[in-house]
Amino acid sequence: MTAIVELTDVTKRYVQGSVEVMALRGLTFTVEAGEFTAIVGPSGSGKSTALNLIGALDRPTGGVVKVEGRNLAEMGARALSQLRRDRIGFVFQAYNLMPVLTAYENAEMVLALQGVDPAERRERVVKLLADVGLAGLEQRRPEELSGGQQQRVAIARAIASDPAIVLADEPTANVDSETAESLLALMEALNQRRGVTFLFSTHDARVMERARRIIRIVDGRVESDEKKPAHPQQPGTGVPAG
Amino acid sequence: MAWRNVWRNRRRSVVTISAMAFGLWVMILYAALMDGYVQGMERGILDLEVGDLQIFPEKFRENPTLWTTIEDPDALLEPLVSQGFSASGRVLAFGLVAAGEASAGVSFRGVDVERDATITKVQDEVARGEWLDPADPKGVVIGRRLAKMLAVDVGDELVVLTQGIDGAMAYDLYNVRGVLRGIADATDRGGVFLNESALRELVSVPEGVHQIIVRRPADLALDLAAGEVRGVAPDLDVQTWKQLMPTVASLLESTQGIMLAMFVVMYVAIGMLILNAMLMAVFERIRELGVMKALGVGPFEVLRLILLECGIQVGIAVAAGLSLSLPALAYLSTSGIDLGALAGTSVLGIAMEPIWRAAVSTGVFTKPVTVLVVIVGIAVLYPACKAAAVQPVEAMRHH
Repeated sequence: MTAIVELTDVTKRYVQGSVEVMALRGLTFTVEAGEFTAIVGPSGSGKSTALNLIGALDRPTGGVVKVEGRNLAEMGARALSQLRRDRIGFVFQAYNLMPVLTAYENAEMVLALQGVDPAERRERVVKLLADVGLAGLEQRRPEELSGGQQQRVAIARAIASDPAIVLADEPTANVDSETAESLLALMEALNQRRGVTFLFSTHDARVMERARRIIRIVDGRVESDEKKPAHPQQPGTGVPAG
Repeated sequence: MAWRNVWRNRRRSVVTISAMAFGLWVMILYAALMDGYVQGMERGILDLEVGDLQIFPEKFRENPTLWTTIEDPDALLEPLVSQGFSASGRVLAFGLVAAGEASAGVSFRGVDVERDATITKVQDEVARGEWLDPADPKGVVIGRRLAKMLAVDVGDELVVLTQGIDGAMAYDLYNVRGVLRGIADATDRGGVFLNESALRELVSVPEGVHQIIVRRPADLALDLAAGEVRGVAPDLDVQTWKQLMPTVASLLESTQGIMLAMFVVMYVAIGMLILNAMLMAVFERIRELGVMKALGVGPFEVLRLILLECGIQVGIAVAAGLSLSLPALAYLSTSGIDLGALAGTSVLGIAMEPIWRAAVSTGVFTKPVTVLVVIVGIAVLYPACKAAAVQPVEAMRHH
């Protein structure tokens, strides 16, 4: 298996006014390609901070963060921006879609930034939106979609560019249980069918239940790292059948 | 995306665009009216009073006497005309005119009617009566205030009193053939135009002229023209109109600066509005901009987006401002503003035209638009840079 993410002895210190907060205190773990992993822990334990560091949205105070073998500390702002665009997908708790763009345009955005040919873009996005259950809703704006539908658009946007990993920060926190189940089923299916690597930060028991690996963080350190028994492999796909 | 962002807050965008369009409209009209005013003043100076250049005998301006003349004017006029200039000599004298109980000190200007028409348009400024006619040697044309002061009008007699070149008293009777409109203070109060031959006879100056008025070719700059004329008349006193009327020249030159200052004052106010509107547009979307950065949109792309949003608003404002200015300019350049009671009053000795018309040229549009774009460009730079520098993690914490 290939390590997509490697965290080695990562620390992160925030200074808020005169108060210094150690969010991470020597966090170390790796995420392999094709994993469906949840980082769990109480509020303030450092889950979101870890995701932000992996997502190249923030820089660690100490330690090493590598994505696909590249040390993020050695990369400039432009290179990090390109890394986020090309290799990392984000799914946020609050969906964070562009309100002036349609579902189609939101999903297309990263591909447009990458300069993918419009015809290819169209083909990929239409198929992607159908895959996430939004066929027929392509031209709706976020305000015209339910929370669950918006999160599906966000998932489509996150995987449109075939990233190495999708970082999902509390993706089910703003939706009802039924929608949460369907979103999780969708992400699980994408993981299994397309081999998309997912790394969640969550409190949600439903996510923990579906995740095949759970990294528990307490006070900025890994308290436990538990892998569930492997699922049988689908013939020829190389990804777990789930 | 930029287009849609502009219309997210429709009211704010409409107010911003309207303010820019209104400012542009005002500035275009202001520029056209100021250009019209300057051109009117220049017309008054160049066409009716001074010409582009004047040639005098050495020392004449310090001590104007009848016997200080350019002895052979034709030797100058012919080469000047062959080089594309228009030029005409004048005989000048000073004296008194009287009618009834009233009298006034005046300057006599003896003109070659045919040749003078190539360097002046004063003949078109006759308010009552007619311009000089060589066939009517006793007919004179006088300034409007002089006519009022002497209480004379067309057809009335004037007694002219002066001194001949030999020092003897010279006097004669003339008829008022025409009364001029307001041109310039000196002409209005004391200008008496006569046929050149009549004045020569009166003051006994059979040859030579005291002044040659020169008009340059339209495409020749004043300084270059002065150089060429000095080449033709190296021993004479060649003066440009700016040297002869430095205060007026300075006023007209400063008009461009005043206009630019007005643009800046007006547009700085608009720039503040833009700065405020764009700052609001950035801050209310700070989270969204953070998400964009998180998704891999680079700082340059964010900067470009904000500039484009502003550019769209400026583009609409420019289109609206230009469109609205066209009918207003059409009216102001044809009908103009009737100055009514102000007509004929003078500014630095040059009479204002009775109708103030706008002068329409490319510059009337390009200058206000350019200054608007520059000021708005400066105003939007701060919010655009602010947006470009957004840190995704911090921005996404905003609610």
